[in-house]
Amino acid sequence: MNSPRNQLSDTLRDWRVTPPADPNFRHQVWQRLNRQIPASWPAYLRGHAVAWMLVTLLTVSAAALTGHATAQAKVRADRETMVVSYLVDLDPRVQAVLKR
Amino acid sequence: MKYLTRTLAVLVLLAAITGFVCYRMSCDPTLHAAVLKHDTMEWMRADFNLTDTQFSAIRDLHNSYAGTCEEHCRMIQEATKARNALKAAQGGDSAAMLAAEQKIQELRTHCETAITRHVHQVAALMSPEDGQRYLALVLPKIADFDHQAAPDLHLNHSS
Repeated sequence: MNSPRNQLSDTLRDWRVTPPADPNFRHQVWQRLNRQIPASWPAYLRGHAVAWMLVTLLTVSAAALTGHATAQAKVRADRETMVVSYLVDLDPRVQAVLKR
Repeated sequence: MKYLTRTLAVLVLLAAITGFVCYRMSCDPTLHAAVLKHDTMEWMRADFNLTDTQFSAIRDLHNSYAGTCEEHCRMIQEATKARNALKAAQGGDSAAMLAAEQKIQELRTHCETAITRHVHQVAALMSPEDGQRYLALVLPKIADFDHQAAPDLHLNHSS
């Protein structure tokens, strides 16, 4: 005697699905993939405009500050060199040591 | 991935150009040229905005001070030699040694007063703001020189 559980198992075992082949399947997959890759560099930039603008702003600001700070440090060092040279010429105490 | 690399490369280039332009704009080429030429008078002209009249007046003042400086230098050298001779002599007189040290100290103090007076005269020839800036730059160094002595001035003393 077949129980309902065995009938279900038999039915599932014999069940075959034969879907009709979709001729556009491959084409549709490529279309979806291509939609995710930007077609051009400007398109890529437009897609990430906010992020890149923020990064650009930060990077350029940091570069400007670094350039300015480096120049100021150089000006300070140059001025220090000149003050010392100037005073060495003026100061007999230093001259006395140098001429020993 | 190639777009990311390309964008990063452009960003690096942009940062380098910005940094370079800011560096050049903040530099003082006249000051740097004076350093390269070791020309302290040219530095003064550029850094303290001297007019031709101020410049020649300060140069004359420096030239007239040079004689005083030479004289002070000779006196310090002689006093130092005398002190060193006393030190080298076996069983040197401690009172004489003390007097020699005192004489050097007096000469050094006299020198410092003379230089301070001289730089005040120089500052008086500049515009008030530049004169103040000059004094603020130079006076602390004059006081320091006595304590630092020449070896800290990054000079070659072997010659």
